[in-house]
Amino acid sequence: MTGIRHFIKNTLYPVLEEILNSYSILFFSNSKLLGAMLLLITFFKPFAGVAGLVSVLIAISFSYFTGISRVGIQKGLFSFNALMIGIGMGTFYNQGIAFWLLLFIVVMLSVVFSGVLHTLFSRQGLPFLAIPFILCFWLVILVSREFAAIDLTTRNIYWLNEMYTVGDKPMVSLILFFEKLPLHPLIITFFKSLSSLFFQDNVLAGIIIFVGLLFHSRITTSLVIIGFISSVLFNHIVHAYDTGINYYLMGGNFIMITVAIGSFFVIPSFHSYVWAVVCVPVTFIISIALSKVTALFQLPVYTWPFCFVTIIMVFFFSIKRQRGRLVLTPMQFYSPEKNLYNYVSTVERRSYENYIQLQLPFLGQWIVSQGYEGDITHKGDWSKALDFVIVDAELKTYTQFALKAENFYCYNKPVLSPGYGTVWNIIDHIEDNEIGKINQYQNWGNTIIIKHAEGLFTKMCHLRKHSFKVKIGDYVRPGDVVAACGNSGRSPEPHLHFQVQSTPYIGSKTIAYPFASYRTRTHEITDMAEFKVPKETELVSNVVVNESLAKAFEFLPGYRMDVSAEGFESTTWEVFTDAYNYNYLYCHQTKAIAYFGRLNNVFYFMSFFGDQDSLLYAFYVSAYKVSLSTELATVIQDKFPLQMSSNNPGKWLQDLVAPFYIFRRLIFECENKTSSTDSFNEDVTIRSCQTMQYFAFKIIKTASVIEVNNKKITSFVFSKGQKNIQAQCVPKG
Amino acid sequence: MEKLKYERPFLKKMSAGMMDKSGTQQSEFTPVTHIDEVSVKQLIADYGSPVFVMSERKIRYNYQSAVRAFTTRYPKVQFAWSYKTHYNNAICRIFHQEGSWAEVVSGFEYRKALNNGVPGSHIIFNGPDKHRDELMLAVQHDSLIHIDHFEELYTLIEVCTEAGKKARVAIRVNMDTGIYPVWDRFGFNYESGQAWAAINKIVASDQLQLTGLHAHIGTYMLSTAAYGVAATKLSKLASECKTELNTTIKYIDLGGGFPSANTLKGSIGLVPTPTVDEFAEVITTTILNAGFKPDELPLLILESGRVLIDDAGYLLGTVLANKKLSDGRKATIMDFGVNIMFTSFWYDHMISPAQEASQFNEETVMYGPLCMNIDIVRECVTLPLLNRGDHVVVHKVGAYNMTQWMQFIAMRPNIVLIDLQGRTHVIRKAEDLSYLEQLDVIPEHLSTK
Repeated sequence: MTGIRHFIKNTLYPVLEEILNSYSILFFSNSKLLGAMLLLITFFKPFAGVAGLVSVLIAISFSYFTGISRVGIQKGLFSFNALMIGIGMGTFYNQGIAFWLLLFIVVMLSVVFSGVLHTLFSRQGLPFLAIPFILCFWLVILVSREFAAIDLTTRNIYWLNEMYTVGDKPMVSLILFFEKLPLHPLIITFFKSLSSLFFQDNVLAGIIIFVGLLFHSRITTSLVIIGFISSVLFNHIVHAYDTGINYYLMGGNFIMITVAIGSFFVIPSFHSYVWAVVCVPVTFIISIALSKVTALFQLPVYTWPFCFVTIIMVFFFSIKRQRGRLVLTPMQFYSPEKNLYNYVSTVERRSYENYIQLQLPFLGQWIVSQGYEGDITHKGDWSKALDFVIVDAELKTYTQFALKAENFYCYNKPVLSPGYGTVWNIIDHIEDNEIGKINQYQNWGNTIIIKHAEGLFTKMCHLRKHSFKVKIGDYVRPGDVVAACGNSGRSPEPHLHFQVQSTPYIGSKTIAYPFASYRTRTHEITDMAEFKVPKETELVSNVVVNESLAKAFEFLPGYRMDVSAEGFESTTWEVFTDAYNYNYLYCHQTKAIAYFGRLNNVFYFMSFFGDQDSLLYAFYVSAYKVSLSTELATVIQDKFPLQMSSNNPGKWLQDLVAPFYIFRRLIFECENKTSSTDSFNEDVTIRSCQTMQYFAFKIIKTASVIEVNNKKITSFVFSKGQKNIQAQCVPKG
Repeated sequence: MEKLKYERPFLKKMSAGMMDKSGTQQSEFTPVTHIDEVSVKQLIADYGSPVFVMSERKIRYNYQSAVRAFTTRYPKVQFAWSYKTHYNNAICRIFHQEGSWAEVVSGFEYRKALNNGVPGSHIIFNGPDKHRDELMLAVQHDSLIHIDHFEELYTLIEVCTEAGKKARVAIRVNMDTGIYPVWDRFGFNYESGQAWAAINKIVASDQLQLTGLHAHIGTYMLSTAAYGVAATKLSKLASECKTELNTTIKYIDLGGGFPSANTLKGSIGLVPTPTVDEFAEVITTTILNAGFKPDELPLLILESGRVLIDDAGYLLGTVLANKKLSDGRKATIMDFGVNIMFTSFWYDHMISPAQEASQFNEETVMYGPLCMNIDIVRECVTLPLLNRGDHVVVHKVGAYNMTQWMQFIAMRPNIVLIDLQGRTHVIRKAEDLSYLEQLDVIPEHLSTK
């Protein structure tokens, strides 16, 4: 019995998923429901349906046999072209041994093409779309003329006959009912265009596809309609096809280009919609021009125009350097809604990956005495620099008298390395100035330059002579003491000059670069800043990380944790790293995956894949973003991707208008509390909740409590409505 | 125009006396008419004389300066307010508001800290005399208990067994830091190996968890080097705990003992005392260079009392009488004496007149109001001519006086706090007879008149 269950779970189910994905990916989806609906309509032409399914199976088996990317197979990337070939051949040719043999060869060829094109194109971040299908199908058309054993079928003409053989009279009358629906001719054209992707011109098939699309994505559905209307309007102006656009051109090119450009390869937005509409006439023109060329060989253009325009446009968008309005999908979730919501919810987090983490180069609280573009010396090429000093409650920088450098609070205080790096250069021979005098001949005074990455150096100046604790070539970690604050160089009173530069020289041009996080105080309000540059007169200090929390959330690859709760199978989570160097927690039992990231003082989840009833999902929601500091009693906020909200009319409406306006927000809030029985803040309670916000209304969806005791996560409680999960965690290190 | 102040006639002998570096004789007669912009005259009118005045602004300033001195040099610093220095609840709460823990040396101080809202885990329990029930209280409140002697160690093990709870403890270590006499009556000796023996006993016991090491090398220390020695020895002990006993020492407590800027009796002229910054520099560099791993740096705890509060306290008093002693010296009798100014046994407190006076001054012996010969506030002070009813301000009396004062002959006066906005608050009422008699019990046979 368990053997059978094991077989179903580990063999049958993945294969079924791969088959359905081969269908749904035609509409850039991996929705099983859509896949099943598409599979169903291919059988409106039974033989074509069979040929399609067989092709998919051949393609999947061949892919496994050749051992190309598992993920690619799973998403249906290497089999959807085969599917098109199968349906196409099944539609146009009579069966026979020669037919199956040719199909077999061509399908395998399409997998080879797919693999090669995928490798070539993905280096540039480009899709290969239906190119393998077109190439293979042209091949079929060209060679089949020479193969006497393969002939064109007449089934297409009398396709209703075929329907009789499948479903007898009721089937035929059902189809005829839809064919004869008193609909506007344009609507009929619309549905038939959708069905034409499967070489059909069938209203019922079109309607089923449309419904499937609606369930899959409201954004895609709206773009399908927009694409259709745009092409009809354009045709109306140019009078290219006076009898109406051919269904296949309409479905396979004009509608698909709108979907691809409007929502799939870029994040859906007002701008992507405009681009999508603009691409319709472009595709239109290319279709007509290209068909003149291919007609010379008596070949149809199929979806060439769509493939061509999409690839060119995606390439164009990717070389566009300015930040902006149109954003290429950073992580593909195979759903425009998911792509959009993930993008929106992680806007603030983008700095996490864009910058190398730097911390303030000192201990305790200092004040920015001169900020970027400062009036005193931060000008021109050197404008992106910061000067720091220490002040007392009265904002004085010295004790009683400002006569000696020693009287200044910041003098001789340790200067720290702001990040991981190598000491690149040190100047250590310049005497401190008398107070009020400056040394313009050795402008920067005693200086240290640290290299953190290629093209990223930090420089700290006016240090005290012979205070250096490191030497050139030393490796330093953030917080290592490198020298002491002094008063050398162009410095009338002791202060610390800090700048980031892209070249390693003394006197290099400065660049603007943020600190990963720091505590800031202005007018008695203390707050935490993330990836910002402190402003003049801001009192700043490094955020002190709670070592217990930091260790508890230090999920290094290989880390394992046993998690159990009443009513759940005991699970083991393990940390792995994927090919793109992203870390994820993997649940061995449910196969759920939760991607996470970690900054010096923040732990955060990026995305979740798998069963939403699993313990890992509960933990993902509970620890979506956790501050690893207990110093500040502030609530940290973040946004969940909206697709995590439940399905209801409100959500569908939101999906529809999401590219333009978002009125629902799924907010995450989290707060750390240390235990009053513990002197060293080793026991921390993390309370978090998920709330749905409609405009100004707030509804609490989930509430969680995570307990950390002495560097370990010991338990978490997750409650959602009536459901209450109490999980025990046993980290295994 | 205001009537000119009467000044009694006086004769003054020319004296070569001790000169300060500007060539003038030391005098302290710059009048201090206001404390934190509040008039001294008004304070005395409102709260009587004598009266202690505490400046909240100065307390916070001192605390923040001390914290800054350490936190800009060392990443993990915690101050614990030494209750014995001044355990008035209002004063303690200022420190707790600033983020200070509590350091107590007796059961009542412990309860006071709890009443002031300090969580048990933020109370450090020091001292050689901790009663069994007090230890039990501290164990139940998860406090940090600093063990002073082996007897206490064994008692604590018993208490923990009884409570069924593990206690977090540190040992107090005494050592030779080059300062004599060595305070070796407190804690376990470092050089003789006693401290290491105590550590081993603690680590071996299931009831105690060794979390810290404590040293308190003396009081009013004028040498920063001694703290360097103490920090070195404690760091070494901590490293040995880690390497030999696999026990991570979470904190090093260097106690207090930093001097305030008072003048010790017997010192000639101004003796410069090291500032908190100078102590911080020595202590932090010593620990940073002791070879701890960056993520295992111990928390540095300081139990400073005096340096944070001495100069935030003032005593306002009034002249009762002038006299001439038999040897011809002038004597001034004040309404405050050693009964409420215990520290006058140690310091030559700076005393300023509280009203304008002429440039003439005279040397005088300043006596308190007690009918005891030892009640001398200053053996010799140069002040302008003072008349009966004139006011004086005694400086730097914030530490220890309001805990060590006695109720003897005179009763203890009001303590007034001037807050950040310049408002005044009584934070301890002057005693009266009913307070005094509150605890008196008259046996039956004496109760009838």
